[in-house]
Amino acid sequence: MSDVIALHTEGLTKHYGDVKALVELDLDVRPGEVVGFLGPNGAGKTTTIRTVMDEIRPTSGRASILGMDCHADSVEIRRHIGYLPSDLALYPNLTGKDTLTYFANLRGGVDWTYVGQLAERLGAELDKKVGDLSSGNRQKVGVIAAFMNRPQLLIMDEPSNGLDPLVQREFQTMMREVVAEGAAVFLSSHTLSEVQRVADRVGIIRHGRLMAMESVASLRSKGLRKVELELGSPAVLADFEAVPGVREVTVADRRANLSYEGTMDTLLKAVAGRYELIDILTHEADLEEIFLAYYHEDRVDGANGRNGAGS
Amino acid sequence: MYASVFTKTVRDRWRGVTIGTVSLAALLYLGMMAYQDIDLSIYTDLGPAFQSLIGIGEDADAASLAYNAIYSTYGAIILAGIAIAMGSAFIAGEERKGTIGVLLGNPRSRTQVTVAKAGAMLLLIAAAGLALWAAGVATPAALDVSVQGMDVAAFTLHLIVSTLFYGFLALAVGAWTGRTGLAAGVSAGVLMLSFLAVGILQAIEGAQDWARIFPWYYFSGSDPLLNGISWGHLAVLAGASSALFAIALIGVNRRDLRGRSTGVTLLDRLRAHPWTAKVGERLAGTARVSRIWVKTASEHQGLLFVVSALMFWVMGVMLGPVYRAIEGSMTDFGDALPAEMLAFFGGGDLTTPEGFYQIESFGMMTPIALLVVTITIAAKALAGEEENRTMGVLLANPVRRSQVVAEKTFTMLVFGAIVGVATFAGVAVGCLIAGIDISLVNVAATCLLATLIGLLFGALSMLVGAATGRVSLAVFVPVGAALAFHTMNALASLNDAWWGALSPFHYYLGSDPLKTGMDWGNAAILTVLTVALLALSFPAFERRDLRQR
Repeated sequence: MSDVIALHTEGLTKHYGDVKALVELDLDVRPGEVVGFLGPNGAGKTTTIRTVMDEIRPTSGRASILGMDCHADSVEIRRHIGYLPSDLALYPNLTGKDTLTYFANLRGGVDWTYVGQLAERLGAELDKKVGDLSSGNRQKVGVIAAFMNRPQLLIMDEPSNGLDPLVQREFQTMMREVVAEGAAVFLSSHTLSEVQRVADRVGIIRHGRLMAMESVASLRSKGLRKVELELGSPAVLADFEAVPGVREVTVADRRANLSYEGTMDTLLKAVAGRYELIDILTHEADLEEIFLAYYHEDRVDGANGRNGAGS
Repeated sequence: MYASVFTKTVRDRWRGVTIGTVSLAALLYLGMMAYQDIDLSIYTDLGPAFQSLIGIGEDADAASLAYNAIYSTYGAIILAGIAIAMGSAFIAGEERKGTIGVLLGNPRSRTQVTVAKAGAMLLLIAAAGLALWAAGVATPAALDVSVQGMDVAAFTLHLIVSTLFYGFLALAVGAWTGRTGLAAGVSAGVLMLSFLAVGILQAIEGAQDWARIFPWYYFSGSDPLLNGISWGHLAVLAGASSALFAIALIGVNRRDLRGRSTGVTLLDRLRAHPWTAKVGERLAGTARVSRIWVKTASEHQGLLFVVSALMFWVMGVMLGPVYRAIEGSMTDFGDALPAEMLAFFGGGDLTTPEGFYQIESFGMMTPIALLVVTITIAAKALAGEEENRTMGVLLANPVRRSQVVAEKTFTMLVFGAIVGVATFAGVAVGCLIAGIDISLVNVAATCLLATLIGLLFGALSMLVGAATGRVSLAVFVPVGAALAFHTMNALASLNDAWWGALSPFHYYLGSDPLKTGMDWGNAAILTVLTVALLALSFPAFERRDLRQR
């Protein structure tokens, strides 16, 4: 099975009346990789996940998981995947153990030794009623339910919600482990640092459209840098916006902060002609800054005529 | 609109109150119209004693019959139900939802919040009373029915003061315990018990005074429609309501507020103790979640237990001796009770055991008990899991949507059957104890037909829930349909109107199964309708986008 694409969508589109929640989404998740799905609230992340889970039906396009059609073969698919919905809700009157037993029964049994290991690693309290758990501890029960049948594909919507940083770290290790064994993980998040740490590739979605799908490594190698300039005279916004490759600028008195993609030579020549350069500080942009650069660019799309989102 | 706790509460609650009030006004119009077409002259010959006993004016008119049937029974129960829903939701409901924390995070004291919410209830129920009074005046005018000698204003005033009592009772229990279910259950229990007790006690010679201990007595005991306002009775109700409100205020201020927690059941205690852990696990753990239908059954076992026990003991075993006790006095005025009123309780002749059981139990209580169970299970089955957002994780497992529908339907069928059997067993035991001569085969047939009626409206609820994913619709549609069909059947049965056959209730008691035995044709019609509704539920749920809430 390992050569079959874990998750594949083709022109996946979902409209709610006039609202285009998802537009022509093409996506591939391969075995042995973690794909992160990034986007602001309401971008279409959950709609995508609910569509491939057959909770809602696409307006057009198709999706398949492990080579099987997401609608026609949905029951067979669910034998092989683990799913953690967004904003997880469980049965408040059942304990964590009861909840997992229920799902295990519906699956025709699971390896309870493995469940015990998962619970121990996450520090889950399985003897308490779910309704009495804090949201983080409830989330742990959901994570165990998603992992416990050793799925070939894990689909998780905002999985780190409510987990404390230490548990998040452990959870990320668990994801890397199952991926090392050949499983695939598809997770949505707006916690950029998490995606940066755990994902091999990242898709950026907004307004229902996939803006970019690239490896984390290549996103970084785009050469987007954060540059802070200290100048001899007050900075003028227009001077910096005019420089090719500059994506985002803020100016404050004699300082300018920019996201910049290009060679330092171009930037320095453009600036040195107008200002006295006192100091320059530069570092590689993290995913968050890259993401914001994309997002910002598209929001002002048309205003300045740039269109660097794809590539 | 959200200017204050008061306005938010009004805004949250006005819809239910409006739906209830408008339906009652519409039913009143229908009722008065139907009674108008019937020759009521025999009641004018009854003499004033009987007339006052059964609450009709000297002219034995369509108006008083309709007021009594629609406003005093349906109306009082529906409005009290609405008030109980409000009262139990005000404090306990916010605790269960976990919203009390953010609400009290604002600079408002617990007293202020409780007063604001109680004020909203007062306003809404008063508005409902005003609307019912207006409808009560306008309807006879529009239909040209005489209301001479009747004080509709006094009657509706009694109605709303009585309604508020149950609302404050629910508020007080909720404020002290923080448990919505307990608040609603206790209040509904007091309501039903006092409704039944006052009816039965007033029929027993020498026992009339006992009715005074029940709140219902102070609503209807003075017959305000004919005698005007009884300030004494209103003072009793208002005083009790004020006391309950004071108790609620003390309770809400003294108590630790509950977080969104679940409460501890007996099973939990069993599981927690090392000695009983094994037994507890067996009872609760693996057994309770082995299958979807088993889990569904365990969720509703409390309701099943209460309703079955009520039907078995109160509506069954106890009714036998009660019939024996009042048998003698019944023969006197049994003939005098107007069929128009009794039609709403299933009709029947009070002097025979069959008629007694039909009026006391099978006409209204048995279908209500069955509908409560089947509609609760059905509405929560699909729509409930969607609204609680658990449908997503449930369907993350390799089960078909149709399997979820099938298993939950199965639970509903089993539970409906259990209530039916409990009803039969109770009546059978009661009759055997009291030596009442009634055909138990016919009782069984009636219980079977009653079960089918319950399942029919449960199936309607299942279909609505499957098609919409909304619990409120899955409750309101079948309850509204049952109410409308029940009224329709009762009115049609008075003059054998052909349109009575359009009501499913016609196929329940229409053939008089307590006397004539099983009507397999009627059973078949009810079964076919039920199966059809259930069959439609599968594609309705299969094809739909699940709600995300």
